[in-house]
Amino acid sequence: MELNNELTAQDSLRVITETLNNNRRAILRNGAKYFLLWGAVLTVFSLVIYELWHCTGNPVWNMLWFAMPIVGYPLAAILRKHETVVPKNILGSLIGQTWALYGVFAVTIAAIAVFFVPMHITLLIVVLMGFAEAVSGLLLKNWPIIAAGIILGIGGAVAAMLLKTEAQMLLFTFGGILLMVTGLIVNRQYK
Amino acid sequence: MFPKLDPLLHSELRLAVMSILASVESADFTYLKAQTGATAGNLSVQIDKLAAADYISVEKGFKGKMPCTTCRITPTGLEAFENYVKALQEYLR
Repeated sequence: MELNNELTAQDSLRVITETLNNNRRAILRNGAKYFLLWGAVLTVFSLVIYELWHCTGNPVWNMLWFAMPIVGYPLAAILRKHETVVPKNILGSLIGQTWALYGVFAVTIAAIAVFFVPMHITLLIVVLMGFAEAVSGLLLKNWPIIAAGIILGIGGAVAAMLLKTEAQMLLFTFGGILLMVTGLIVNRQYK
Repeated sequence: MFPKLDPLLHSELRLAVMSILASVESADFTYLKAQTGATAGNLSVQIDKLAAADYISVEKGFKGKMPCTTCRITPTGLEAFENYVKALQEYLR
């Protein structure tokens, strides 16, 4: 793109539209990486905890969930370090903030449930995750993501009540796979 | 009578830079270069022109050991960009 003062009104409009679209695509495509990363981390953690709980019959392995941010955030930082700095637009910020808030809610509720007031953690966290997923879909105007969020949230709540003990961990495996699929959809949508 | 188009924005590269900056909090030089496909020298000159008109603010710093130039649209720049788009709409009506 070089200097050109002979622009017509149509040319100017084309430059603005193309630039805005390319910029939006670059920002959202960059965000897709984090869906993939956190989806993979969640899938691995849920399967490991499921397996350990299943083999030993001891639910104490659930304490490993608290290690998930300790593993996930440094990995996200490494990802950021090796990429071109992509600015944030309002849409990227809103999606990021939705999931950051989800993280705060999930960790706080889990900590309260483990140390102070017993609660049905799986049910609460799966509903919150489904809600965050559906909000992401709404912001991205993507119906498959909205539907996946609703299925995860509502279906997950029912399943959390029906499934016993370690089988509940598989709900989080489903959630992790859903996050990765969301990342792939976003990556494809904004290619 | 058509409104006059802002001559500072009526250039492909400067318009592209302003379009990007109008939709983000801030963007660094490398990102602007990648998105516009401009050469570093040309982009640098156009950024200086926009900064001289107070349409954008430029902050030079370091990211680790690498120099980093961060650009941000100013309220004046945003108003000029909005007026430019309004003027374009008049032309296209």
